[in-house]
Amino acid sequence: MLLRLDPSAEEPLFAQLVAQVRLAIARGQVRDRERLPAARELAESLDVNVHTVLRAYQELRDDGLIELRRGRGAVVATGAGRDHKVLLKAIDAVVHEARALGLSPQATAALLKEAFRT
Amino acid sequence: MNANLTADQRMRRRRHVTGAVTTVGGLLVLLIAAAVAWSWRAELPDPVASHWGKGGQPDAFSSLNGMLGVLLGLGGPLVLIFGLVTWALGRSSVTRRIGVAATVYLSLFLSIVVVGSLYIQRGLSDAREAGSVNGVALLAFLASLVPAGIASALIPGDVRQPTTAPVPADAPRVRLVDGERAVWINRASTRVAFYLAVPVVLVGVALAVWARAWPVLVVDAFVIGMLVILTTFVVRVDRTGLTVRSAIGWPRYRVPLDEVVQASVTQVSPLKDFGGWGWRVGRDGRVGVVLRTGEALLVERTGGRSIVVTVDEPAKAAGLLNALADRARTGA
Repeated sequence: MLLRLDPSAEEPLFAQLVAQVRLAIARGQVRDRERLPAARELAESLDVNVHTVLRAYQELRDDGLIELRRGRGAVVATGAGRDHKVLLKAIDAVVHEARALGLSPQATAALLKEAFRT
Repeated sequence: MNANLTADQRMRRRRHVTGAVTTVGGLLVLLIAAAVAWSWRAELPDPVASHWGKGGQPDAFSSLNGMLGVLLGLGGPLVLIFGLVTWALGRSSVTRRIGVAATVYLSLFLSIVVVGSLYIQRGLSDAREAGSVNGVALLAFLASLVPAGIASALIPGDVRQPTTAPVPADAPRVRLVDGERAVWINRASTRVAFYLAVPVVLVGVALAVWARAWPVLVVDAFVIGMLVILTTFVVRVDRTGLTVRSAIGWPRYRVPLDEVVQASVTQVSPLKDFGGWGWRVGRDGRVGVVLRTGEALLVERTGGRSIVVTVDEPAKAAGLLNALADRARTGA
């Protein structure tokens, strides 16, 4: 599982981490019931505060993607790693089309968000 | 240590000295054991018991010379093989430690087995009266472990050999933007260990009960422990370099960023390349954490050292390690 953070980006580090783990699960890079790295180890590797990692893990737990257990750390929740192949393919198509139209990622994301409301 | 020597020369000297000292030491242990046993020749029955069977009774016999022949004829070549491996391939401290631990362990184990089983026959007129050999077997197994562990812990580590040479341009890289932080973590593990553990336990218990060879249970527990320790590894690439550690944290292998020559993806066949599975030493002294056939991460390190780990997504690991090494070298 490759996790990357860009401190110069606007998005807070914990939110970036949430997105990265979500992506890793969606792409099947971590499987159901697999253990995620300990918060302290991850914080050390990424040069961020332990609380940043813990906050990301709590967010992922609230979304039902991982389970947090005392002493056992973070484990990918059963069923979290459902097959995202079709969705990822559709997203590829969206990106392709947006590029062709010259839409920015922000504008495309706004359209996507809007689509969820209906 | 002479300061004028290059790191390369110091490392070569280190493995040659280690190989030579352990070979001589191992052979000395065997010779002393043989001499002690020989000094008892007047008090020993002729022939002596050489094998104990079901129920703990002696069931095979041999001359004293035959016993000593087995000790030296089996132990001598084994010590020489491990000494030679350390001498010729011990570029990584891991390799030297494995070589030294194996030499110490097997020379002590064989010596205690032979000397111990003769010791309990001293003063007997007929070797058939010899008692159980269980105590000797357990002593040989346990008493050899501690010195082997101490000897391998005493082996000096590797001399730091940092490099400033750039990572080759054709090596795979993950693209990182300025200031971007990244970590790659994966587990390398195998279920085979679990399937192996079941028969090991069953056979061990059966032997212990049927042949009343209860030391087998101690060996069993040890084997299970080793299976657990040496079949699940966490592999990590981050700003400190590569870290491979077992599930319990030890053993551990590190390659600092400034000692990375280059990382790449390779194909591994455990039996062909490493002669088996687990934490291995391969041809050219390459260190292997080999748990399955197929794609693996290969990290070439300064001083002619290298490590192979059979882990999923090796391309990403290699790409990140190369990219981070680039960054550390250009000072970005």
